[in-house]
Amino acid sequence: MAREIYAYKCRLCGTMHYPFRMVCKECKANDFFEFDPVPLPKSGTLLTHTTVYNLPAQYEVATLGLGVVELENGMRMLGQLNIEQPKIGMAVTGTVEVVRKETYDDFYGMVFTAA
Amino acid sequence: MRDVYVAGIGITTFTRLEFPLSEIAAYASMMALKDAGVTEVDQLYVANMGAARVNHQTALASAVADSLSLLPAGAAAIENGPASGAAAIKAGFQAVASGMDDVVLVTGVERMREVNNLEATDFVATLTHPLTEYIYGVTLPAHAAMFARLYMEKYGVTERHLAMVGVKNQNAALNNEWAHLQQEITIEGILDSPEAMTNNPFVAEPLRFFDACPVSDGGAALILVSKEKAQELGGPMIRISGVGQATDTHAVFEREEPTDLLAVRKAAKDAFDMAGLTPDDVDVAELHDAFTILEIAESEEVGFFPKGEGHIALEKGETALGGRIPINVGGGLKGRGHPVGATGVAQAWEIVTQLRGDGGKRQVDGAKVGFTCNFGGFGNNVVCLTFVRED
Ligand SMILES: [Zn+2]
Repeated sequence: MAREIYAYKCRLCGTMHYPFRMVCKECKANDFFEFDPVPLPKSGTLLTHTTVYNLPAQYEVATLGLGVVELENGMRMLGQLNIEQPKIGMAVTGTVEVVRKETYDDFYGMVFTAA
Repeated sequence: MRDVYVAGIGITTFTRLEFPLSEIAAYASMMALKDAGVTEVDQLYVANMGAARVNHQTALASAVADSLSLLPAGAAAIENGPASGAAAIKAGFQAVASGMDDVVLVTGVERMREVNNLEATDFVATLTHPLTEYIYGVTLPAHAAMFARLYMEKYGVTERHLAMVGVKNQNAALNNEWAHLQQEITIEGILDSPEAMTNNPFVAEPLRFFDACPVSDGGAALILVSKEKAQELGGPMIRISGVGQATDTHAVFEREEPTDLLAVRKAAKDAFDMAGLTPDDVDVAELHDAFTILEIAESEEVGFFPKGEGHIALEKGETALGGRIPINVGGGLKGRGHPVGATGVAQAWEIVTQLRGDGGKRQVDGAKVGFTCNFGGFGNNVVCLTFVRED
């Protein structure tokens, strides 16, 4: 089964949150964990990007592409880019993959490629 | 609320320092105590971000209090990311303004060179959102780079404008004996010459090596006192007239307009309103240029220039020494260095030096009103202060 990254929808007012927060940013009226997880869309357009050269020690690659993507539902997320020549405004599509490896844990996140 | 004055200042050289963290803090503090002429304080606040993670030390303020023989004064450390320094000044301000304390020592310190540059970069990156930013390998240079790209696209800022900030600030550091970088650079050398791309490689596109501040060790300290105490001590009367602080979303991508720095705008406005001043009243300013793009963006958000026109003012020389609003005449973070916990206090140190007229070759003539902007997170926690010399 394909992995998902989730947004959190307030059960009182319907506002979507990513990242998760304890109190709804819109109605501020929810009780503990009154949110429903909703998978984030995987397609969107690239809003901004960079290629990082000085990476933290855990990364065994020379450079890392990163970007902010505006998803098709209007929400935004940061992800890794696997794109030769990223351009602002280009269409991209994501898959959930391992984005960081530590000694005992693998962390999953969105990796975008050109759509 | 009582008025609060800066009666003493101290600083260490910003560089790689082979001393224990608490000793660096104590050195800057002792200099400030001697400068003010006091041997006792009611309270001390020590601003620091990485002691636990980088230096394997906790409860730093207790160590500093004992080293300086300030016992039994109250002591607490303040960790607020790269805005720890000004957050500690705010705490000291509140302590004196409330009437609870008459003399407060505020010290900022960091020793980042104890680990290598990649570890230091990772340590600073721990301030990012753990699940939606940090796990992807985002660093502060990466955040600044993505922000810079948007700024370039939207406002016509170019690599050359960024390099101009770097050259201005790094060369300004040549007039500051405490500053980390003591090497003159030119646009030719870092952008135009055949060797430029080797000298000045990308750190995170479109930002290059000379767009980023160095990793530094160092400490800075202030003595904050009540008006009565300031008069008794008899030094120049330099008052902290405005304090503003604001927060913004932890995850940077959530901000509605990604080129806005709303916490900078709000913190600056609150500081100016409290002081009864406007940005036009400022004679000398310290902005948080951890990356060159930030000086341009902050110069707009604090109100010195309209949004999108900071780079034009830079081109005209308005932000250089002798210009309309000189920014970072002591080198800024770019030239002075950025020991993260120390930076907010070092900015205040520079402004007090200027308002005292002790700036030497970098003195802004007749400076009476100063401003600092200490930028934490990637703009998610910002503290702005105004300073006024009263004659
Ligand atoms: Zn709600």
